[in-house]
Amino acid sequence: MAIQHEGLAKEFEWVTRPGEQKHIGEAIEKTDALMQELAYQLILGANTEVGRLTKEALDNGYTANQVLDDGLLNGMAIVGVKFRDNVIFVPEVLVSARAMKAGMQHLEPILSASGVEPIGTVVMGTVKGDLHDIGKNLCIMMLRGAGFVVHDLGVDTAPDEFADAVEEHDAQLVGMSALLTTTMPNMGRVISYFEDVGLRDEVRMMVGGAPVTQEFADEMGADGYGENAVECVDRAKELLVLLKELKA
Amino acid sequence: MTTKAQVAGKMTSRQRVMNALNGLPVDRPPVANPTSVATVEMMDLVNAYFPEANRDPEMNARLAATEYTEFGFDAIAPYFSIIQESSALGCDMQWEQKDNWPTVRMANPIWKSSRDVKVPADFLQHRDITAITGSIKLLKQEFGDDVAIIGKTMGPWTLAYHVFGVEPFLLGTVDDPDETMAALHRLKEFTVLFGQAQIDAGADILTLPDHATGDLVSAEYYKRFLLEMHQELAETFDVPIILHICGNTIDRMPYIAQTGMAAFHFDSRNDPQEAMDAVNGGIKLVGNVNNPTTLYARTPAEVRKEVYRALDAGVQLIAPECAVPLKTKAENLVEIPIAVEDWAAEHGMI
Repeated sequence: MAIQHEGLAKEFEWVTRPGEQKHIGEAIEKTDALMQELAYQLILGANTEVGRLTKEALDNGYTANQVLDDGLLNGMAIVGVKFRDNVIFVPEVLVSARAMKAGMQHLEPILSASGVEPIGTVVMGTVKGDLHDIGKNLCIMMLRGAGFVVHDLGVDTAPDEFADAVEEHDAQLVGMSALLTTTMPNMGRVISYFEDVGLRDEVRMMVGGAPVTQEFADEMGADGYGENAVECVDRAKELLVLLKELKA
Repeated sequence: MTTKAQVAGKMTSRQRVMNALNGLPVDRPPVANPTSVATVEMMDLVNAYFPEANRDPEMNARLAATEYTEFGFDAIAPYFSIIQESSALGCDMQWEQKDNWPTVRMANPIWKSSRDVKVPADFLQHRDITAITGSIKLLKQEFGDDVAIIGKTMGPWTLAYHVFGVEPFLLGTVDDPDETMAALHRLKEFTVLFGQAQIDAGADILTLPDHATGDLVSAEYYKRFLLEMHQELAETFDVPIILHICGNTIDRMPYIAQTGMAAFHFDSRNDPQEAMDAVNGGIKLVGNVNNPTTLYARTPAEVRKEVYRALDAGVQLIAPECAVPLKTKAENLVEIPIAVEDWAAEHGMI
C-alpha cells in the first residue's frame, strides 16, 4: 500500500534508509487522509492549519493518541530525518516544532487527563556557565516529538538542579548540553555530583553540543552522546531500554 | 619570551600576515588567530583576568600581546569574545569569571523588529567599545611595525542572534524574510561603525564573525541573506577582512569565495583539502587546528600533525579553528608556529 497523500508521499522520498522507510512508511500507510494531511501540514510548519486539523480530528471522534501518533509524530519523524540529513536546517525545524505545539495545545489536556504513561521522562538543561540553548531546545522538540516527557531546566544549570529535577519528576534520563569549550567540563561535574548523592545508578546520562565528541563523553563517564537532535532521540530510546533491563 | 619561530623568520610578522592575505610571497605561512588565544595561564602571567580584560583597554592589550610575545604568533587579536557591541547596545550580559567567556543572555532579547534597531548616540564611546579601540591604539604603539593587529567587528547575522534571540530571529527568517533583510541591513551599521573605529585606531585587519553556520542554516540561506551584504562590507573597509564562521561550512564556501573578503577562518569540522577545493582559489583560508580535542586535551605532537595537515592542503594562514579554550596549555599553542617553521624548512621556504 502506498502513501495516498501526494504531498506527504513526496516528503517521504527524503526517507532513504531502509529501516526508516519500513518503520515510518508502515506507520503512515495505515493512516487515513486526514491524518496524512495533518502530518504533511506539520512538515510544512503550517501552525494554524495544524491547530485547525487537530481540533477537527478531535471533533470528529479521533482519540488524542490517534492524532498524536498517526498525524503529528509521523510528520515529526520525517522532519527529523530531513534535519539529520541536512535537507532542512534549524529555521525549518523551528516552524515545524511551532506547528507541533499548535496541535499539542489541543491534545495535551486530554492526554494529561487520560493518565497515559509517556515512553520516558527526561530532564534536560544547558550546564553551568553556558547560556546557549538552541541545541538543547532542538533536542527537547525532537524528544517530545518522539513521545518523551521532557522537563526543560533552561540554561546555566547547576549539578544540584539536575539532581533535584530528577527526583522531583522521577526522570530516567538526564540530558546535558554545552556550546562553550569552557563549560564542557561541567558535564563531568554533573555526573560526579550524581555519583556523590547516590543517584548515578538511577538514571542514564546523555551529553551533546557543538564541541562535544564521543571521546569526550566517554572520558566524562556519560552513558550516551548524540551528535545532533535526531541522534539524541535514538540514544534516549536505547538508554531507556538498557536502564529498564538493568533495573529488571 | 622570543620563540624559535620568531628568531628564524626573515620577514616581520606583520609583513608575513599582510602578504599572505594579499596573495604576495611569504617566507613561511603566517600563524594568526583572527579570533582569540587568550588563556587562563596567560591571564596569570600578565595579571589581566576575565572579565575585566574584556572591558579595560590596558589589561586587554596586556593579555592580547601574549599571542605574539609568548606563543610566537604573527598577529595580535585583542577582541577575545563576541559580545562587545551587544553589551554596548544594552543586551543583558553574564560577565562570568576568569575561566569562562562572557555571554549575552539571548533568552532576554532587547529588540523585536528592525524598527527597534537604532544606533545609540554614544555607541562608540561605550566602555566595551573603547576597551577594544583603546587596546588597539596601545598595541599599535608597541608592536605596530612588527606584528599585525587584528580587530574584530561582528556581522549583522551574529548581532541579530544577540539582540533578537536565536529562535525568534531564525523563525523570522521563515515568517518574514523581507523583515529579516531589513533588520540585517540596519544591524550592518554597527558592523561598519565598530569596524571603522578599529581601523582608525590602528587595526591592520578586521575579522568579521557572522555565524551563519551549517549547524543552524543552509548554504542557500547564506547566499540569500548574507552574500551580497558581505560583498558590500568587503568593499566598505580598506583593510583585509577575514570572515569567520564556526561549524560545518564546506557547502557555503563556494559562496564565501565570492565575497571579495581576503580570507575565511574555518572550523576543524571541515577537511582542509576539501575546503581548499571548495573555495577554489577565490579566497584565502585560515585555520583549522581543532580546539576542544587537540589544543585543549592533546599533546604538541598531535597539534603538529594538524598543522602539517592544513599546510599540506595549502591553507595559507595557520590558526586554531576559533577562540581557543581558556584552559589550553601554552605548550600546545607554542607548537603551532614551531611546526609551521619546520614545515617551511622542509619545503625549502626558509
